[in-house]
Formats: sequence, structure tokens, C-alpha cells
Amino acid sequence: MSFLTVENITKDFGGLVANNNISFSIEEGEIIGLIGPNGAGKTTLFNCIVGYHRPDSGKVTFKGKDITGFKPFETSREGIGRTFQIMKVTTGMTVLENVMVGAFCRTNDRNTARMEALEVLNGLALHAVKDYYINELPIAIQRKVGLARALATKPVLLMLDEVASGLNPKEIEEVVELLRRLNSAQKITLFLIEHIMEMVMKVSQRVIVLDYGEKIAEGLPADIVKDENVIKAYLGEKYAKGL
Amino acid sequence: MEKLKDALNFSDFSKAERIGLIIFSVFLLVFPVLGTGSFAKTVMIQFLLFSLFGMGWNTIGGYGGQVELGKAQYVGIGAYTVALMMVWWKAPFWISMPIGILIAVGYSFIIGYPLFRLKGHYFAIATICTSLVLKDIFDNWNLVGAAKGIELPIHDHPDFLYMQFKSDTYYYYFIMALFYIGLFYMNWFRKSKLGYQLRMIKDDEDAAESLGIDIRWCKIKAYSIASAFVAVGGGFMAVYNLYIDPASTMELSLSIKIALMAMLGGAASLWGPIIGAAFLVPLDRFLGSWLGGHKGLSGIDFMIYSALIMVVSAYQPRGIWGIIEQFRKRGH
Repeated sequence: MSFLTVENITKDFGGLVANNNISFSIEEGEIIGLIGPNGAGKTTLFNCIVGYHRPDSGKVTFKGKDITGFKPFETSREGIGRTFQIMKVTTGMTVLENVMVGAFCRTNDRNTARMEALEVLNGLALHAVKDYYINELPIAIQRKVGLARALATKPVLLMLDEVASGLNPKEIEEVVELLRRLNSAQKITLFLIEHIMEMVMKVSQRVIVLDYGEKIAEGLPADIVKDENVIKAYLGEKYAKGL
Repeated sequence: MEKLKDALNFSDFSKAERIGLIIFSVFLLVFPVLGTGSFAKTVMIQFLLFSLFGMGWNTIGGYGGQVELGKAQYVGIGAYTVALMMVWWKAPFWISMPIGILIAVGYSFIIGYPLFRLKGHYFAIATICTSLVLKDIFDNWNLVGAAKGIELPIHDHPDFLYMQFKSDTYYYYFIMALFYIGLFYMNWFRKSKLGYQLRMIKDDEDAAESLGIDIRWCKIKAYSIASAFVAVGGGFMAVYNLYIDPASTMELSLSIKIALMAMLGGAASLWGPIIGAAFLVPLDRFLGSWLGGHKGLSGIDFMIYSALIMVVSAYQPRGIWGIIEQFRKRGH
């Protein structure tokens, strides 16, 4: 039995088929990359799994439980955390408070939530900014706060929507390091949408490629970059030659 | 026990705020013995009552960020429950008020469940509608006195059971006690799980949902807490005025005033509704009775309220308290 199984997911936005009959599965402890050109349906697929969209047909199974059509807060309580491509820049709550809200997912006690939030912040080296508001922070830190918030809900599967976009190479290096650590030390299964190929290649153990809402390839990173369909749809001839 | 400790713990406020609270509390305590006239006492009672309303509104409207403009219907429910139970069954205040709260909370669940399918302006309009519908029903319902309203039977002797007193001082201390219960409750509420979750919902609903928050249920809970607060105030209005009618307890203008108290003073802050009420209650007296009554400019109060709402939401969504905090930040 797989950890997360997606069977024949289809999502149709009134004539625009964003996801067409997509199936795959993820094993516990894996790091899976999801790539594809803009508009390929990556975020839609995430939303179908997590519950922001209800798939028109198909089935999502998580740890043996059918979670198709679950609301986002329900999948979150099941142990699926997610981050957003665009972090809303808000002024209402400090970093610590944000992360505490995540921790409140598993506890009712404020002191416990606070302690767990501080632990997560320490783990991500965010302790120094805990009293800042999100709008006062640079984008790389904002992304990390989004990640910390999701981590505080203690997910077993973490779905990351472009955590590395807008970051410089050094920051990307750090994120890669961090993701590996989460995966090995905390045994969190990672499923990430990413545009930055170096990062996908470095961090993921398996890659799924979408194009026009369909899955066009799946396999090891080294095989994916040689796949003709993937080169044509996404990577381009130049990238293939460069390797 | 832990909750009580949280409610009484103001240590996360600045020193200035804590000293301010103490001075304010001492002032409230000695106010009736300062020898001020009955008019001043009436205004103070109004101020405490509207602070209580504003604190209630602050749960859903301030922390939760849902612009709610139908709180008057719960004032009406609280007031009518107390008045009718007293007229029909001679029920003491201490029995009718809790029942009023229960009815208000029950009603808020029934109303809140469909209402919170809506968001933003649609939600605000829908809350106005439900409140107006209830007022119309009471306006035409002969059993409850229709538009004439109901008078409460007046007792000859002061009576703690029915909360009827000759002197306003008793009412003053009673509403002051309710005010402090409200203040302590809100002090706990803002630190509670629900308080945090509501602030997250206000900031970013999608993110809140991804963190395991059942948004609709949280909003309904906050809405019913707000309704309970307001129903207590309504019950007080009934025994204080000894006369209630739909126009004084369920009018749209009351809903707007309640929301405006908190918004003007500072939504999502503990002090906001108190500051707002301190500002608006005297203004309301001035506009309503002096400009409206003597100078014949009736309706001018609404023009000024609507102007205030626009100015506050455009320039300083966090109200007077937001301005004060800005200055404090600059000082550092």
C-alpha cells in the first residue's frame, strides 16, 4: 500500500482541462519533484489533493484512507502540510504568532503551542525574526516562515509550491540542505513543485512531469532530463545539450 | 484555573497601558461618589454598556475581520427575553438573563450557519437583512407588544432579584461589573486558540485552512460569543430603561453604532471598543439630543457616522488605537 495514491484525477475548469487523468503514487519517505511549464496544472493538482479544489473524477488515497473531496483543514489534520507559491504579506500577526497558529492544529494549550512554535523556528534559524511582522521581512525569510507555519502542524507529507522561486543561489543551497534534513531527520515525505531545475535535480529522488494537464513522464531525475517529451515540452534543446 | 489566570494577566501590555488601566479602573470605581449629576451618570452607564457591546463585536468583527452589522437583533433578543419573562411569569432577572443568552446563542448558530457561506460585503449585507427581518417581525407581533413595545412592571421597593433600583448608582455598579467580566473574558479570548485562529482567518483564509482551521466553524463560534455579549447588554437595557420596543433595541442604527465603537477605537485590540465608546457615546448624546433635537438637524448623526466609517476604513483601519501605536513605534 502506498503512502499517497492519486488515481485518474481530472479537473475541468469549464472547458479548460487543468488535470487530465493523472495517476501516480508516492512512498513514505520519498522526495518527489513535480515539474512542467507554466499552466501545466501543477498547482491545480496540489489543490485537488489538499482539497482547495474538488476533482471532477478520480480518487486520492492517503495512508490507506480515501481523502477525495476532503476540505483543506481536514487533509491538514490528516497530516498533509502545504506551502503557497505566493505568501500573502500580512500585517496582523508576528512570525511567532503565525507559527503558533500552525501548532494549534495539534494542541489546545497556548504554552504548548508557543513552545512547539519556538522549536520549529529554532530549527529553521528563524529565531531572530520571531517578533517581526511578515511584511517587514525579505522574501527568502517570508518563504521560510510559510514553511515553518506548515511544519508546526506536524505534517507527515509536506507539499511545497515553489519554495525556491525568487531566491538567490546561496539561498537555494540552504533550502536544499533544509529539505534534505527534514526528510532524513524528521522523516517527512516531500512533494515539491519547482521551476528551478538545479534544485529539482539535486533534491528529488523521483520526478513527475506535467504538460497541458497530462502526465508526460515520471522517473529518476537523470532519466527525465533525457526524455524526449520532457525536452520538447519543458526543458528545451539547449538544456539537453548543456548536460 | 489556567483560563482565569490568563484572563487576569495583563503582563504582556506595556507599563503605560497597565497604569492607564489602573487609573481608569479607580476612576470608574469612585465616579458615582464624585457628586456628579444624574446626566453624567446616565452617559457613563451608556458608555459602559456600549463598551460591552463593542467588546462582543470585536470577537467576530475585530479579531475575525468579518464586518458584522446585525448585532442589534441580539440586543433585542436579550432585552425581550428579560422583559417578556418578567411580564408573563414574573421571572427574576437572574433567571431570564441566562435564558436570554441561551436563546441568543442558539439563534446565532441557526443564523450563522448559512450566513458564513458568504464573505466580505455580501456577509455584511446579509447580517443587516437578518436583523431587519427580526425587527419587522417584532414590530408586527401583537403577542410581544408589536411596535408599542412592552413596559416592565415597576416594583415599589428596590429589588436585587429583579434588578430594579431607584438610584442610577446601583445600575452603574451593575453594568460596571458586567463591563469587567467582559474585559477579563476578552483578555483571555485574545490569547486563546480561537483568538489566534480568527486572526489568521482575517489575515489569509487559504493559509488558515491549510493549517487545519475549520474556518466556518471558527467564525460561527466567534459570532455566537459576540451574540452572547450583546444579549447580556440587551437584558441590562430592559431592566434599566423599564421599557423596550423594537425601535430602541433592534434598529439598524444600533447595529452600526456597535460596530463603529469597535472600529473607531481600534478593531482587534482589547482597548479599542472602550476608546471608541468613550469617544462616540458623548458624541452621540451631543448629536442626537442637541443638534438633532434643539436645532432641528435630525439625521445629522447618521451623516457623521457614515463619514466616520469611511474615514476610519480608508486612512486607519486599526482606529484610534492604531494611531496611538504608530506614534509609539515612531518614538522607539
